[in-house]
Amino acid sequence: MTIEVIYPGVQCTVQAGPRGGWRHAGVPAAGPADPVSMALANRLLGKPAGAACLEISLGPASFRFLEGMQVAVTGAAADLEAGQQDMPMHETLTIARGQTLAIGPAHTGARLYLSVSGTLQAEEFLGSASTYMPARFGGHEGRALRKGDVLSAEAAGVIPALKTPGPLRLAPMPSYALRVVPGPDLPAGEEDFNAIAYRVTTRLSRMGLEIEGPFPNLGGAGSRSSSAVFPGAVQVTPQGRGFLLLPDGQTTGGYPHLLQVIRADRHLLGQVRPGDSLRFLLRTQLQAEEALRAKQALLQSWMPDFRL
Amino acid sequence: MKAPRPDVIACGDDALRILCGEGDIRHSLAQHLKHMQGWTEIVPGKLDLTVSFDPHAERMTGAQARLSAALGNVSTLQPRAARTHILEAGFGGEAGPDLAALAARLGQTEEQVIFTLGQQTLHVDMLGFTPGFAYLSGLDPEIVSERLANPRSRVAAGSIGLITGQVGLYALVGPGGWPILGRIRARLFDRARTDPFLMAPGDSVVLRRIPAA
Repeated sequence: MTIEVIYPGVQCTVQAGPRGGWRHAGVPAAGPADPVSMALANRLLGKPAGAACLEISLGPASFRFLEGMQVAVTGAAADLEAGQQDMPMHETLTIARGQTLAIGPAHTGARLYLSVSGTLQAEEFLGSASTYMPARFGGHEGRALRKGDVLSAEAAGVIPALKTPGPLRLAPMPSYALRVVPGPDLPAGEEDFNAIAYRVTTRLSRMGLEIEGPFPNLGGAGSRSSSAVFPGAVQVTPQGRGFLLLPDGQTTGGYPHLLQVIRADRHLLGQVRPGDSLRFLLRTQLQAEEALRAKQALLQSWMPDFRL
Repeated sequence: MKAPRPDVIACGDDALRILCGEGDIRHSLAQHLKHMQGWTEIVPGKLDLTVSFDPHAERMTGAQARLSAALGNVSTLQPRAARTHILEAGFGGEAGPDLAALAARLGQTEEQVIFTLGQQTLHVDMLGFTPGFAYLSGLDPEIVSERLANPRSRVAAGSIGLITGQVGLYALVGPGGWPILGRIRARLFDRARTDPFLMAPGDSVVLRRIPAA
């Protein structure tokens, strides 16, 4: 089974499960910026949550299928078309031999996931097939896809068509309230973030995103010795700009780490786009645990092998 | 020698940070926690060690208790079996475009700067920034050097960067903001090796000069 990249759009990469256990060597997790949407796409084809998929930033993008295939698209809201017919997101679709699937620009949200039937061929490195572009490994030659690239997938039997259950279709929005716990460098008495709306700038990539807005005055603590950082960390630069780390973000950093988006909400970061508005809702460790259990239970009811 | 038990703080809702200060204890602890299992990442920082756990498998309080129990054994930790890497390096010229300017600013000759660098045993504090980038400490702080005002968009793999008190070894070709003094021959990152990374936190490094090619 062969898929030709007609137009990859802003950035299209092969992503699979995260690359775990190598952060001490400076290797970030990579993997989908929105793992929930990727798992939902895989579920529609009966595949494991971490099976290799195409992650498409913002759209538009298009792909030609040289043989008939089943596919599914989830994530950012966009129009789909194949063979001059509109196609729905969040359903198992059948693309006829030779047809092109055209994905329009995302109306809301930042990343779409295209899963295909069979196993998408991808380079596995350090335990994951996810593309990590800065070091050029994983996925398709360790890089974003280009026009004319040809991907192959092992043939698979046809499965009955599925639809994502309504409650699991998380509509991307232009504003997000993200639950956070204090980071290790949050000054005491500076816990009142809930009312502040931060604006997402145009500096956005798989490594992280920049936000503008008021942050606490850190005085002399503007720079510290480097420590581990993880996706979901909210760091503040000496210039007073906020940086939120995504799956390709660096593994250590020296900027003060003020807040940490809780595990349950980190997947939302993959759908944040320039101009969006973010608020941070400070929670306790117990509330963070409860939030994780609740969201996990909902997702697991449809995707038994998925873990937030 | 009985070391005091280091403080532990939360680092988000699925990670804990051990504030252990400078020195080898970070690396011995990292090794101990690796053997213990149940930690998804074990990442040395310059003055601390951060571990992450699976919040689906245990709660924060459980992870804290497990870590506390491990730290109770700190005084009996075995020193990590660290390696010493003697790395051949060329200095100045195309491989070290900032050596001349640094020497001039210090009022030294290039030879003096290279000699000082080669005299010291450096320690791998941590790897980070990009895969395999090694932060080395132990450098004579009299070699004062600032980050470049305009970072380079391309620094060769193996480049030796220097900012005051620290040497940075670039494992991969890519952008870089540290002044570059030379280049090592060894490959810090080689995807064909079982462990693709030549160095690990806690290792020692000696830079040995080879004549420019």
